[in-house]
Amino acid sequence: MSLEEPGTRDVGLTKAGEVNYDELEALLGDAVLGRETHLNAEAFVIRPDAVQDTLSTLKEEAGFDFLNCVTAQEYQDRYETIYHMTKYDDRTQEVGVVVPTSKDDPVSESAEPVFRTADWHEREAYDLVGIEYADHPDLRRILLPETWQGHPLSMDYDQTKPQIVTLRENKNPLQEDQRLNDDSDTMLLNIGPHHPATHGVLHVEATLDGEQVADVEPDIGYIHRCEEQMCQQGTYRHQIMPYPDRWDWGGAGLLNEWAYARTAEELADIDVPEYAQVVRTMSAELSRILSHMLAVAAYALDTIGDFTATFMYGMQDREVVQNILEDLTGQRLMFNYFRLGGVAWDLPEPREEFFEKIRAFIDDLPEKLEEYHNLLTSNEIMQVRTVDTGYLDPEVAKNYGATGPVARGSGIDYDVRRDDPYGYYDKLDWDVVTEDGGDNYARLLVRLQEVEESAKIINQCVDLLEDWPEEDRTIQANVPRTIKPEPDTEVYKSVEAAKGELGIYIRSDGTDSPARFKIRGGSFSNLQTLPEMAEGEYIADLIASLGSLDTIMGEVDR
Amino acid sequence: MIGLLKSMATTMKHALDGETFTVEYPEEAPEVSPRFRGVHKFSQERCIWCRQCENVCPNDTIQIVTDDQRNGEEYNLHIGQCIYCRLCEEVCPVDAILLTQNFEFTADTKDELAYNKEQLKNVPWYKDIDPLESREPDRGAWIGEGEGELDYQ
Amino acid sequence: MTLSDTIAGLLGLNANDPLQFFLAAIIASAIVGTFMLVNVAIAGPWAKRKITAAFTDRIAVNRIGPFGLMVIVADAVRLLSKELIVPEEVDRPAWDLAPLVIAGSALFGFAVIPMGNGIQVADPEAGLAYVFAVASLASLGLVMAGYASNNKYSMLGGLRAVAQNLAYEIPLVLTGVSVVIFAGTLQMSEIVAAQTGTLATIAGIPIPSWYAFVNPFAFVLFLVANLAEVGRNPFDTPEAPTEIVAGYQTEYSSVYFVLMYLGEFIHIFLGGAIIATIFLGGPAGPVLPGIVWFLIKIWAVFLFTQWARSALPRVRIDQLIEIGWKGMLVLSFANLILTAIIVGVVV
Repeated sequence: MSLEEPGTRDVGLTKAGEVNYDELEALLGDAVLGRETHLNAEAFVIRPDAVQDTLSTLKEEAGFDFLNCVTAQEYQDRYETIYHMTKYDDRTQEVGVVVPTSKDDPVSESAEPVFRTADWHEREAYDLVGIEYADHPDLRRILLPETWQGHPLSMDYDQTKPQIVTLRENKNPLQEDQRLNDDSDTMLLNIGPHHPATHGVLHVEATLDGEQVADVEPDIGYIHRCEEQMCQQGTYRHQIMPYPDRWDWGGAGLLNEWAYARTAEELADIDVPEYAQVVRTMSAELSRILSHMLAVAAYALDTIGDFTATFMYGMQDREVVQNILEDLTGQRLMFNYFRLGGVAWDLPEPREEFFEKIRAFIDDLPEKLEEYHNLLTSNEIMQVRTVDTGYLDPEVAKNYGATGPVARGSGIDYDVRRDDPYGYYDKLDWDVVTEDGGDNYARLLVRLQEVEESAKIINQCVDLLEDWPEEDRTIQANVPRTIKPEPDTEVYKSVEAAKGELGIYIRSDGTDSPARFKIRGGSFSNLQTLPEMAEGEYIADLIASLGSLDTIMGEVDR
Repeated sequence: MIGLLKSMATTMKHALDGETFTVEYPEEAPEVSPRFRGVHKFSQERCIWCRQCENVCPNDTIQIVTDDQRNGEEYNLHIGQCIYCRLCEEVCPVDAILLTQNFEFTADTKDELAYNKEQLKNVPWYKDIDPLESREPDRGAWIGEGEGELDYQ
Repeated sequence: MTLSDTIAGLLGLNANDPLQFFLAAIIASAIVGTFMLVNVAIAGPWAKRKITAAFTDRIAVNRIGPFGLMVIVADAVRLLSKELIVPEEVDRPAWDLAPLVIAGSALFGFAVIPMGNGIQVADPEAGLAYVFAVASLASLGLVMAGYASNNKYSMLGGLRAVAQNLAYEIPLVLTGVSVVIFAGTLQMSEIVAAQTGTLATIAGIPIPSWYAFVNPFAFVLFLVANLAEVGRNPFDTPEAPTEIVAGYQTEYSSVYFVLMYLGEFIHIFLGGAIIATIFLGGPAGPVLPGIVWFLIKIWAVFLFTQWARSALPRVRIDQLIEIGWKGMLVLSFANLILTAIIVGVVV
């Protein structure tokens, strides 16, 4: 993928291809203050003024080209920012960069010049925790209103005191019309937060030059529901699991549950029975179909306009999957089906009937997908609308930490299911779909093809489940009633959710609930690429590009 | 042009086949699966007031009041706040809680959505689904309960 | 014999006295206007929903009255009883007039349409020119609405509407002119009369010499240009609900919204009426009376617009203009010249 010469990437690797942390430490030199061991990877503690040097060394010389997530937290004696880095070429190679800052002067260097994706992540860290980043181009609040007092996830924040932001205190949307300069001919157009095409409460400040988009700035935070904090107050064993469903109301709930299940199982060292893994894999892929079908249907809505045929056909086809998942999990959207160490229920009886339903759906699927291709991809108007619009260069996409169908639509061959296998994926036969176009059309194609791949996976899972010996159907491992991991255990794990990579960072403090629970929503990073796609194009393409990102605001704002 | 015509042919095919997927609610109530999680039903007869459901509830929907001898006095549930996660049913050691298939309820104010134990006991079964047909584990104990209609006005 | 003449005769008015004839014409206009509004009333709240539902596998309105037909009344009451919200700083006279211009301009067009059975308010010699002229008045209404609303979305919508109408008006008229070359007249009744012959007989079924059969190329061109002219998918960029919310009609509510909505539908029907008149033989057809055939034809065009709406994505504004100026214009000129040559050589 990379244009760099071969050979430069081998720094920091052992002969077996594992990450050689000692060599990396030597590479970073005197910036390193110490080492920490997280459950997923080693982490280097570095000086707060050496962030850019360290990250660019790791990026340029050791090949860690993917800043996966930035976690900020406050300890009794210090603030800490953790940069979770990995590689697009090999997801299993990870390294953490821990940047402690003092309580009195919580300033550390910004990573934004090295990784564009750090821009929003650091704004969020500033907003919620209160760490300041020197050199950051635009350090404003991102989730909370500008007038908010204090930083909600910091220790001295008074959570009992309500804060009301009145309309008057808010920025007047009618003022300050001309963004660039006063004598320019541009017009500021507020798209959203209530707009038919923003798929939720997203506010896009678009500066228009006629019909063309001169500047775009997504403004998020309208549906910030303190999901991280709610998870910090829940117990590992039970109370957190219902919430991941609520980060994605597009149907991808099970995939999100898996993100938490994977992280917490790593943290508490729980092994999941093989049978449960197959059930998980099958149900998660059904969930992915739900989400991708919605994405395609809603994309048709964005480009066709009105709730017309393609959207309704998409809804109809989803209905079948929703019924299957309702039979399995008991709900159509907020499944709450996974448990730590397994799943809540075995397949519904009679099993044959259930398998029959799934098979019928899989058998009908090619015909239905053919319809989508007829309606969308082979339609000439759709082609002129989507081909070569909303172009996202693969290197830019990497810089922004794009994942999921957005990255794969830009030709980046990256899929956590394959690159860092979990569940039963590595034992099944399926392919990672990539398209080199990098435009809206490519992303649409990727989603449609991924539905096919998911169907392939489901089919194989059903084969396995049909022949599974009855005495060996363990759906849940033995998990203690209360889980209390060792204090200060840190873990960051991620799964391939529908919108992109969904990562979760947990730090334990010896109690039965997490001390810090950080969510890396795939949509959060993907949405950040919108200005790269939309600037210079027409307003209709801005809407089409936004739709092709398939962001879900529950995951962006959390 | 071929693509455009193919699109138009596809929609016309749907128009002419006459199939619809509309569910004409409420004349035609939708089928729900046996595992569906609807309104919380509570049986005081079986409850041992262990408070596990109260503790496991992710967002404090259940409120239990006991006297000094830990005898149960009140069991309240704010159904407007319930997220239907079924964790209460899962942890209940005596099957005193069941999430019925019933999802049909309404109220004029949020206040009315706070159900006490009598109201929770009388939550009707959805479409008279036999509790035995309800999900596992076997809920035979529930037969004969909750025939009463709840007055939602 | 126009409807006005008939009414004058029935009431014993002197058709040569301007005042008395004016009275007869007003009555005739009222009849035709009401007739078309009834069509729109059926189309807007009911037929459109039913048609869309058929394309999307749903049932749509079926609760109120037989087949849900009473929804027309219910919708009328609902829409008229809503509060008329006048946003601050709208440009008052223009903002108030725009809905009237949009709805009125299309209704004027029906004055010269021969609907069969002698229903035609007037039959001027420049009938076709008059129809095109008043139909394009609507773009004035659109830009008034867009500009006066003091809303950026409306502004964009209004500008798009004008750009679109300019781009597609010319191909529309040029294609219409190719029919005029065939018919040798602009008078609507004459154009209809010119289509009464038989073009050919295939397997014993006579094919009428409707211009749609004589020159199918012009017919398709006209159909496409008409879709753009009335702003329906795939050319609904002035409204584009997912891009600019609803364009010029964003700020309108209550009665004004009804007028806007009405105007749009009358425009679709006027487009259908023009197509029926100049390409489909007007009210001509076997067995059934002329007015019924006329209705069938305009509803067929309406059905076509709804069909296109269900299946075709919206083109972008620049692509729309490009198709208009670079594609349709060239094709319509080619069509005009070819027609002129053919007519010159053959006739």
